[in-house]
Amino acid sequence: MSVAELKERHVATTETVNSLREQLRQRRLSLLDTDVAGYAKSQGRTPVRFGPTDLVCCRTLQGHTGKVYSLDWTPEKNRIVSASQDGRLIVWNALTSQKTHAIKLPCAWVMNCAFSPTGQSVACGGLDSVCSIFNLNSPTDRDGNLPVAKTLIGHRGYVSSCQYVPEEDTHLITSSGDQTCVLWDITTGLRTSVFGGEFQSGHTADVLSVSINGSNPRMFVSGSCDGTARLWDTRVASRAVRTFQGHKGDVNCVKFFPDGNRFGTGSDDGTCRLFDIRTGHQLQVYQQQHGDKDEPSVTSIAFSISGRLLFAAYGNGEFYVWDTLLAEVVLNLGSLQNSHEGRISCLGLSADGSALCTGSWDTNLKIWAFGGHRRVL
Amino acid sequence: MPPEGTAVAGATDGSQYSFAVEYNGPPVTYDIPRAVPINVEKIPVAAVVSQVPLSETLSLPVVQPVLASASLRKNFSKELELLGSSKTTVSPTSVIAFERSGSGGDDGGDSGDSGDSALSKELELGSGATVSPTSVIAFEERSPENRDGGCALSGELSSSGALEFSNTNFESGELSDLANSSRVLGSSSISHEHSQELLVGAGSSSTIEFSDSFDKSRGRSLRTLRETSGRNESLDLNDLNQSDWASTESVLSLDYPSSRVSSIKAADCNNVLISDVRRPQVVTFRDIESDGGADEEFSMDEPEIRPAVKREPQTKGKKGSCYRCFKGNRFTEKEVCIVCDAKYCSSCVLRAMGSMPEGRKCVTCIGFPIDESKRGNLGKCSRMLKRLLNDLEVRQIMKAEKFCEANQLPPEYVCVNGKPLCHEELVILQTCPNPPKKLKPGNYWYDKVSGLWGKEGQKPSKIISPHLNVGGPIMADASNGNTQVYMNGREITRVELRMLQLAGVQCAGNPHFWVNEDGSYQEEGQKNTKGYIWGKAGTKLVCAVLSLPVPSKSVNTYGEPLSNQLSRSVPDYYLEQRTLQKILVVGYNGSGTSTIFKQAKILYKDVPFSEDERENIKLRIQSNVYGYLGILLEGRERFEDECLAEMRKQRSSCKTEPIGNSDDSDDKNLYSIGPRLKSFSDWLLKTMVSGNLEIIFPAASREYAPLVEELWNDAAIQATYKRRSELEMLPSVASYFLERAVEILRMDYEPSDLDILYAEGVTASNGLTCVDFSFPQAASDDLIDAGDQHDSLTRYQLIRVHARGLGENCKWLEMFEDIGLVMFCVSLSDYDQYASDADGSITNKMLLTRRFFESIVTHPTFEHVDFLLILNKFDLFEEKVERIPLTQCEWFDDFHPLISRHRSTSNSNSINHNPTLGQIGFHYVAVKFKRLYSSLTGKKLFVSPVRGLEPNSVDAALKYAREILKWDEERGNFSLSEYSIYSTEASFFSH
Repeated sequence: MSVAELKERHVATTETVNSLREQLRQRRLSLLDTDVAGYAKSQGRTPVRFGPTDLVCCRTLQGHTGKVYSLDWTPEKNRIVSASQDGRLIVWNALTSQKTHAIKLPCAWVMNCAFSPTGQSVACGGLDSVCSIFNLNSPTDRDGNLPVAKTLIGHRGYVSSCQYVPEEDTHLITSSGDQTCVLWDITTGLRTSVFGGEFQSGHTADVLSVSINGSNPRMFVSGSCDGTARLWDTRVASRAVRTFQGHKGDVNCVKFFPDGNRFGTGSDDGTCRLFDIRTGHQLQVYQQQHGDKDEPSVTSIAFSISGRLLFAAYGNGEFYVWDTLLAEVVLNLGSLQNSHEGRISCLGLSADGSALCTGSWDTNLKIWAFGGHRRVL
Repeated sequence: MPPEGTAVAGATDGSQYSFAVEYNGPPVTYDIPRAVPINVEKIPVAAVVSQVPLSETLSLPVVQPVLASASLRKNFSKELELLGSSKTTVSPTSVIAFERSGSGGDDGGDSGDSGDSALSKELELGSGATVSPTSVIAFEERSPENRDGGCALSGELSSSGALEFSNTNFESGELSDLANSSRVLGSSSISHEHSQELLVGAGSSSTIEFSDSFDKSRGRSLRTLRETSGRNESLDLNDLNQSDWASTESVLSLDYPSSRVSSIKAADCNNVLISDVRRPQVVTFRDIESDGGADEEFSMDEPEIRPAVKREPQTKGKKGSCYRCFKGNRFTEKEVCIVCDAKYCSSCVLRAMGSMPEGRKCVTCIGFPIDESKRGNLGKCSRMLKRLLNDLEVRQIMKAEKFCEANQLPPEYVCVNGKPLCHEELVILQTCPNPPKKLKPGNYWYDKVSGLWGKEGQKPSKIISPHLNVGGPIMADASNGNTQVYMNGREITRVELRMLQLAGVQCAGNPHFWVNEDGSYQEEGQKNTKGYIWGKAGTKLVCAVLSLPVPSKSVNTYGEPLSNQLSRSVPDYYLEQRTLQKILVVGYNGSGTSTIFKQAKILYKDVPFSEDERENIKLRIQSNVYGYLGILLEGRERFEDECLAEMRKQRSSCKTEPIGNSDDSDDKNLYSIGPRLKSFSDWLLKTMVSGNLEIIFPAASREYAPLVEELWNDAAIQATYKRRSELEMLPSVASYFLERAVEILRMDYEPSDLDILYAEGVTASNGLTCVDFSFPQAASDDLIDAGDQHDSLTRYQLIRVHARGLGENCKWLEMFEDIGLVMFCVSLSDYDQYASDADGSITNKMLLTRRFFESIVTHPTFEHVDFLLILNKFDLFEEKVERIPLTQCEWFDDFHPLISRHRSTSNSNSINHNPTLGQIGFHYVAVKFKRLYSSLTGKKLFVSPVRGLEPNSVDAALKYAREILKWDEERGNFSLSEYSIYSTEASFFSH
């Protein structure tokens, strides 16, 4: 078969795929008689209402000297790890707002960090294309720096996000600019499986985010610059379980819904979306109307523990709290008095859902929580 | 008495009531939301404040409605609260009303005649809430007058601060004071008079007597503001400590509205002041001035004073109590803020100091320089903190306290030989092998020749490293000696003279000595060394007795500096941060960025590659060579096939001829190899195809090295090698390695620097690599004048990123916003080469480069960054351009090298008079890029030709980059035309 012939075939096949995809979309649309908000409204639900003290900034974690890019909570204790462009990971005690560790990284261009489920170690990755693991209990070296406990080498592009597999300190999933996600075995430092990549059906652009299903740690979802989110089964690396289309821009952030049957996405097209992993349907679009102006991209999202609230940070510094049921913005934290001065780059909810932490380009992290009914005077 | 007081109060504070007028409207319950837009009018209102006459008429009607409905007010305030909750902004006015009603409610229950006092208090509060300077002054003026009853009152009066701690205790105390003691009231009315005076004669000379307190009170009032906001933020920290996180409900409670109130007040006096800590001081001051109409001088000299002004905490409550909760006494254990000296008890310290990013400072003091008297305590933890926090946390705090930049000794506080130091000089001083220990602010003298160091007007205290370029020249009276004996131009002290005499130095006749760092001395104007001062054992003893310094051993012994490095006072990290210049190297695939990166490593690093790296590089090179061999073998097969086909054709055409050729020799031709080599070749090709070459590799080299030798020497391979230009897969560098294949594939091969430069894929082809370096201080480096000594301190970081993923939508380019310069590499020899772009279509590589250049140059992150265009592979280009015309690339189709004739007549610059085609081509391309760049950004592009493989060439380019960075700093002093030689050269083509 000659090259020209092959090319012809390729073009034809691509066309077929596209038309099938379009058909699928049409079919989905026809099946989708309502969305969450419409149904909730028809049931007479009203949006959550926020009192003045329901969500207030109760702590500011100062200490970074560069933009904060990522943060993660420990599951049980209230500690936070944050990664910043000053080339440091800082481990915070969220209660006292003090630092417990400041880890200088060999490569300053760190993009993400994660706490291990037991809180013993932290992982981070960035432009150096490796994922570094630090054991918090290991002794520091002469200069007071924590040595790298393990380096996971294998990605051929920047490591855009990482997350530990719940309940397991030895497994980690990373996503990378090389269009793949990788499940790592930390003890050996080797790749257990690679999701996507050249020969497999995977993302066709940089993968920016992963989120592991909390109730079924074998499933995880990834969001990519190709505008799709894909659902993967860690046992089946060869192909994605499902591909979720709909976004018109890069998917910057994916996050599983607390019940594990849905997940949310945040995208450059300015929308957040909620997808159902069982049906593959898009359940709801969360979009603020900006007129004809450019939509600010969604940089990071998080769900409240009940799932009723969706916290979404935007590229223009806005920070909305959405009611997931009614798709209404119920609070704009960005406009509050002691909010961040820079763009909010990352957010995370503590494991018990009692506090929300935001990291911003203004170098600070802030913890938001319920303010209670204390008398003011 | 009371009516009098109220009347006065009404008259004085009436000026503020322009606010209150607006409040009057709202009492009708639900209109309140409309108070929000009033916010906008804040500033005009502030201006009105100073106008006294207007206010007088307004004052009375304002007050009455408030009093009339105390109970109504309560509802009102509740509504306000609600309102505040639903709305994000509350106008300052509503705040006042809120506050007022709160106190009014309390009053109502207490006594009938408290109405008046409440009234006056409200008035005061009102004035306080507007943060007019006068009210604050009133407070300041009065509080010394009546200390006894003043505590509570002053608390009340201190404007915004009052909001938080106006708990009932204080209020009732104040009420009783007001009701029972007319003296207090009188005094308060006096204060009102004062304030009135101030108000009325704001601009007049009558203010002068207050100016002192005015200054202070200004600071304090602002501090109050800051304190309150800070406090609100951290209010519940402690509760959190005590109770569980899980039960956060009440615990996390913040005084939400009050925090808002305080910040609104802040906004009231100054819009900027919201959470920025440092700025507001100055700005607000001006604001106040304009309000009060204070003298112009104040605003003039204020900015200069500011850094020197010592921050003072606001003291409330009795002496010795915690500054936050006002509980405890002198004996309770407290932590002290290292900036403002505020003391906090154990239950408040975490709230007051927050996350302590710079050590033990109040939240509001973060960023301010520390109180120098506390420098000795830096990094020394108190028992209290140790008890409150765990070990790790304490360690982090202490580390931050010691090392953070704001806490470092400000260089201008140290004067050496009468000259305040600059940052670089201080760094030199602190990083020298033998630095002055525990350097404190002050005036010092330093004898550069001998290294003697002492406080000005005193005898030497230490001998530090000599020949440091810090401070001015030493003065003769530096140590205030009166002995007429001079040492290195300094008149020495009596003690020193005594020491010299005891050391046996002849001091008769008031000699002038030159003393070197080793103690050798000579008389001025003479050549021969007369002896060594510290040579004798006895001298050191004498010195010890007279408490004079002796040279430390480290001057002589060599190993010492290392340990000194560890103990030195300034940490590396913060120096690094200050002086690191980042240069980003980007370029399209194959533009030689990695070569430049490697070259920089080899040029500027003592150990360019570690053992490990070299081992890896060796393996890499060897596997590369196998790869090249594989390509050769593939080529050989192809050639063999072609050859055979050719032969068959020939044979078939000659079939008729009855020549009895042997059948065996049929298949033999120039490209055939023996069976053993054949099997090796097959194996190699197979592993290559399967992509396992690198996995099986190290073992393979052991096994196959002899085979490779045989293979390489085989005629067939050599024949193939001769036709290597037909093998597109074979990179141009391959021949460099293949010619030495046998040597390279030996086990004991050690790659040379040149090998490494040539090698492909040594720097990680993905991701990012960076190297820190500083330019060596070479003697030949005459570009830099001698005065630039601190230049050696500047460290550079060369960062190389791979082109892949650097597209328009690149998610991480914004991480490079602190880059000083981008070096964009272009391979000049690419103009006739093609590659497939993202869409798969074949495009000229130069055009792809241009596309990439456009996307990088226009990226918002690099909006203010200079670009240096590196036109790389100039050597290849020079050679190639003679063979293949530059017009091969459609972008360069208007290249007419004939212009050179014109050139030779008109120019006389650095290039020789008969430029080669290559040079002309280079300039042409440079101009193309310059035009493109300036059309895209309107800025100037710097260009430099580079031969990546030649160290000097890369060195020159990087030095050029350094110059650009320097120019950037001094841009204001240069006119653009002075910048670039290249631009003038290159502009020849611009007609």
